[in-house]
Amino acid sequence: MAFSVFGDMFLVLLQMICVIIVVAYLITRTKSFTQVLDGIFTWKSQVILALLFGALSIYGTESGITILGATANVRDLGPMVGGLACGPVVGLGAGLIGAAHRFSLAGFTAVPCATATILAGLFGGLIFLAAGRKFIGMHGAVLFAVGMETSHMGLTLLLCRPFEQALEVVEGVAFPMIVANATGVFIFAFIIGNLITERQTKAERDTYLSELERKKAELRIAHDIQMSFLPERLPEVPGFELAALSVPAKEVGGDFYDAIPLPGGRTAFVIADVSGKGVPAALFMALSRTVLRANSLVPRSARDAIREANMLIAEDAKSGMFVTLFYAAADPANKTLTYVNAGHNPPLLFRSGGGRPVGLKGTGIILGVMPEAEYGEETVALESGDLLLLYTDGITEAINPNEEQFGEERLIETVTGSLDRPSTEIVDRVRDAVMEFSGDEPQFDDLTLMVLRVV
Amino acid sequence: MSGHVEITERRAGAVDIITIKGRLDAGSSEKAEERINQVLDAGGRILLVNLCDLDYISSSGLRVLLAALKRLKKDGGTLRIACAQPQILEVFTMAGFHRIFSLFPDETAALAEFAAET
Repeated sequence: MAFSVFGDMFLVLLQMICVIIVVAYLITRTKSFTQVLDGIFTWKSQVILALLFGALSIYGTESGITILGATANVRDLGPMVGGLACGPVVGLGAGLIGAAHRFSLAGFTAVPCATATILAGLFGGLIFLAAGRKFIGMHGAVLFAVGMETSHMGLTLLLCRPFEQALEVVEGVAFPMIVANATGVFIFAFIIGNLITERQTKAERDTYLSELERKKAELRIAHDIQMSFLPERLPEVPGFELAALSVPAKEVGGDFYDAIPLPGGRTAFVIADVSGKGVPAALFMALSRTVLRANSLVPRSARDAIREANMLIAEDAKSGMFVTLFYAAADPANKTLTYVNAGHNPPLLFRSGGGRPVGLKGTGIILGVMPEAEYGEETVALESGDLLLLYTDGITEAINPNEEQFGEERLIETVTGSLDRPSTEIVDRVRDAVMEFSGDEPQFDDLTLMVLRVV
Repeated sequence: MSGHVEITERRAGAVDIITIKGRLDAGSSEKAEERINQVLDAGGRILLVNLCDLDYISSSGLRVLLAALKRLKKDGGTLRIACAQPQILEVFTMAGFHRIFSLFPDETAALAEFAAET
């Protein structure tokens, strides 16, 4: 007999647990519940949750197994979890629903049972508040369930008379009720805990993804700015055969080249490298190029054009931004090249007679750091067949998987071996040589070069 | 060799000495910038950058030095550079840095100058 009663009881409890798992899953997936998890407490969602947890409480009563006029049940579960996870309003609401239903059924333990259910919701809600308006976590929740059901039993002993009958009831249902409610709370706590972790992970992933998106957009913008400020096609310059190329790095470095028609049939050839990376470098490049172009429109010497451009750029330079720049005004009539080198790596002049190229060294400070800087200029005579190679340090500093640099020597070798080729082909050969050298190594900096041959 | 840089910091009285050895290029200059900014964030106002064992500096390395100089000028601090390596001095000269930075052949000379000032 005893075995059969306990056997039935555990079967019923097992069924309850299955129902609880499903209910817990469904309730925690409602919009109302996730709103509360986010700290948004609307009356609508609190009422919905109170009704849901109240319904769970009624289910707890109805599914119970009767022992001597009292039932082992999980009536307190709904109000407890409602309070613990959603605060006192939901807990108390669910408690009152469950209590009203239980009270309507009357019976020997009606008063203590109804009271305990209300208290379960209320205390759960108070714990929620004490934990800082959030769910206390699995251990705390299960401990609370054990404590609450123990008090429930105590209440029965305190309020029901005759005491002997109360004691008999409590002896029969105490253990299964404590276990059943603790198990139910454990299931809820487990699912809620998972939900919280899941949402955190999702939030972190969302932040990461949007950060990545932003970064990508920034790279694209920087790339677009840079490309839009490079000449779409180089002008035809009488007396010269001209070719240029710029391969921006993923995180663009602000390189640019230009060929600016000057008054008097001359042309200015420019190559420049802006310090820094990304959007700031691209914007600084756009500014520098515009300033330089504007300053080239009026007839003046190369050094004056650069001096003035530097003054304007320095006024706008923030946090160590600067430009290294080589500016050369070519005069086809006199076959001369007058240049200013503002801290740019010396362009290489390959003479038609052969031999090692000459570096056109610095004649002044980099642009953007000293507003009142003065610049020198140099003039070289050009001969038919001379070739000038302008490049940025992205070429010579390109590294291979062994972390060796491409270097000036390889650059000179590549160009020397191609001197009889058209300018465009020399540009391509240098690019190919650098790419081949780098192999799978990512391109750190922009690769920019310009080749100028005297026809 | 890109990124092969060794940065150490120490203090001599009120002077923060940052020694950069190896290569200061696109790969390593970010690290150098962070370290220098840490010193400046901590209130360092008298800075000596020792480049005596620096083998190579690129334009990104120059930018780091320039950013430090600008920041210190704004805050009323000073920046000195100790360096005697011909290839580094050549880059400085090319960029015109010898005109905006106080360069000293070694650390002792730079520190002596600080001492004379204070």
